[in-house]
Amino acid sequence: MKVLAAVAICAIVLMVPVVVLAGGGGGFDGVVTTLEHRYHAHATRIPFVGLISLVAHKATTGGVSGLHVAEFDNFNEKVDGDELNNIVEEKLGAGWQRMIRDTSKHGAEQTLIFAHPEDDRMGLFIVDLDGQEMDVVQISVDPDHLSQSIGKYEHHDHDEDNSDHDNNSGEDSD
Amino acid sequence: MKSSIAAILLAGALAVPALAQTSGLPLPSAVEKELEAKASNVTEVTLDKNMLGFASKFLDKKDSDQANAKQLISGLDGIYVRDYEFDKEGQYSLDDVENLRKQFAGGDWVPMVHVHEKKSGESTDVMAKMVNGESRGMFILSAEPKELTIVLILGPIKMDQLGELGGLGGLGGLGEIGKTVKKADKSATKGGGE
Repeated sequence: MKVLAAVAICAIVLMVPVVVLAGGGGGFDGVVTTLEHRYHAHATRIPFVGLISLVAHKATTGGVSGLHVAEFDNFNEKVDGDELNNIVEEKLGAGWQRMIRDTSKHGAEQTLIFAHPEDDRMGLFIVDLDGQEMDVVQISVDPDHLSQSIGKYEHHDHDEDNSDHDNNSGEDSD
Repeated sequence: MKSSIAAILLAGALAVPALAQTSGLPLPSAVEKELEAKASNVTEVTLDKNMLGFASKFLDKKDSDQANAKQLISGLDGIYVRDYEFDKEGQYSLDDVENLRKQFAGGDWVPMVHVHEKKSGESTDVMAKMVNGESRGMFILSAEPKELTIVLILGPIKMDQLGELGGLGGLGGLGEIGKTVKKADKSATKGGGE
C-alpha cells in the first residue's frame, strides 16, 4: 500500500512541471510559454534578471522590483491582435486590467499594457511586438518611490543644464 | 435561509468581476467592433479611477502645472480614448459618426460644440455631462478623413482644463482639442458660425 502511495506521489510530482511547461500555468511564465507554443518561437529569458531586478530595486529605493523579461528574436509569425490580447488576458487571469492597446491590422506592431494594483504598488505587464522582435516584460512599480528617483535625475539634469547655460553665458560675455 | 444568503453572496461575487469588465468605454461593443474591423490601426487607452490615481503619482507636486493636473486627475472617475486610423478615406461613414454621437444624445449629455470644416472634411464634437448645473464628464469626437478619435472623460472637468491633461502620457492632443474648441467658441460669438 505504501509503495502504491509513493508511486502515486512520484507521478504527481513528475506531472506538475510538465503541465506547467505545457502552458497550463498563468502569470509571466504562462504567457511566455503559451506564446512560444502558439507562434512556434523561442523566447530568450534574460540571464541574471533576478540580480538585475535586485539592483533595480536598490537603485530606485524600491521603486521598481519583480522584473521579468523575455525576448523573442526573429519573430516571423503573423499576429492577430485580438488573439494575442485574448492569450495574454487569459493567462494573466483576473485582477489584471488592460490599460493600453495599440494594434495594427497588418500585424507587425502590437502593444499591450496591463496593470494590476498591489496595495501601494502597481504591477505592469507589457507585450510589445515591433517588426520581428517581441518583448514581454513584467515589473512591479511603487509610483511614489519611482517618482522620487526620477525626480532626483530630473533635478540633476536641470542643474547641469543651468550650469552649462551659466558657463556658456560666461563664455559669451568674455 | 443560510443557503439563500450564500446564493446572494455567490451571485454578488460573480457580479463584481462582470461589472469590472464592463466598466470600459460605455459604447455598445458592436460600434467599437465595427470600427475596429475597418481600421488599420487601433489605439485604446483605458484609465479607470485606480489607474488615474497611479498615473497621478508621477506628477510633481512642486511644479504648478503638474500639481493642477494632479488635482484634476485625482477627482476624475475615468479617461477612455479610442483612436482608429484608416488606410483610405471613406472607410468609415458619416452614419458611423452619427451612431457615435447618438450614444451621447439626450439624458445628462448636452452638446457644447460642433465644428465642421467643409474644406478638409474634419469635424469636432464636444458634449458635456451636466448634473445639477455642473460638468461631470466630457465626450469628444474628432473625425478626420482617415482618423476617428473618441475621448470620454468621466468626473468633474471643464473645457479649459483639457490642456492640463496633456501632462498625462499620450493625452497631449487634448490640449489641442481644447484650443480648437476655444477658437470655435470665439468665432461663434463673433458671428462666424460653424
